[in-house]
Amino acid sequence: MNIQFKKGVLELCVLVVLCRKDFYGYELVQTISRNIDIAEGTIYPLLRRLMKEGYFTTYIKESAEGPARKYYQITPKGRSYQSVLREEWTRFVKGVNALIGKEAAA
Amino acid sequence: MRRDEFLSELRRALGRMPEQEKREVLYDYEEHFRAALQEGKTEEDVARALGNPRLLGKSYAIDALLENPRPGEGVSAVSVIRALLTSISLTFFNVIVVLGPFLGLVGAMVGLWAAAVSLPLAGVGVVLSPLAAAIVPQYYSLGGASPAFFFFAGLGVTGLGLLAVLGMWKLSRLFVQITAAYVRFNARIVTRRRQGDIR
Repeated sequence: MNIQFKKGVLELCVLVVLCRKDFYGYELVQTISRNIDIAEGTIYPLLRRLMKEGYFTTYIKESAEGPARKYYQITPKGRSYQSVLREEWTRFVKGVNALIGKEAAA
Repeated sequence: MRRDEFLSELRRALGRMPEQEKREVLYDYEEHFRAALQEGKTEEDVARALGNPRLLGKSYAIDALLENPRPGEGVSAVSVIRALLTSISLTFFNVIVVLGPFLGLVGAMVGLWAAAVSLPLAGVGVVLSPLAAAIVPQYYSLGGASPAFFFFAGLGVTGLGLLAVLGMWKLSRLFVQITAAYVRFNARIVTRRRQGDIR
């Protein structure tokens, strides 16, 4: 699939996942990359940018099995941005599906 | 690629980012390696799944440039620099690879034009040569040949020459069109936005 398209959608995926619970980096990357085929490293620049834009914050927490981990936690701003993106995505998919359906019927 | 190699390539690609920020960026990948290795993955596998460290580093560098544009440069700094670099490299390419052949072709066109124009002129001269022989016989002689021969031979050469001029006209237009197309192609490369940015 087109790489630019994937990267745009990735933003939505990260926010959606973080709405469920706090994740640490590796865990978040694994969750995303299990479902979407993308170079895992590209998620970190995205995380950093979204954090700077105030959509989530980070905190360090000790892990049971060793060193401390950096967790990502969504902010209210991130939540509302997520619902905007989600709405856009749903409308977009609906539109594309309508067109695909028409073509299949034609 | 192993962990240390990945991290040092990434660090290099971050460029002029402040040291503190570089450490923060690298920390994310160090933690990623730590967690993945704990799961029993190899360094090579983890690095491969992460992707190209140089491209990753560049995407941070571009983000940083867009966040803090230096005074007077604005957000377009990256694209301007990119366009400049592209045009410099293209100019260099043009001077070395394109200008030489281009000048050679221009020279060839000039030569061909001279030949094409001289043909009908010569033809007219030949047609008029019996006249010259009649007016100034002390300077010019037909060598005993029939004036009709000169007349028809001259007509033939003139016709041939006019055809040559017509051919050159078409060839020149083609040459100009190709040159213009190349220049436009050049300009498009310079102004084209690079594809594949993270944003």
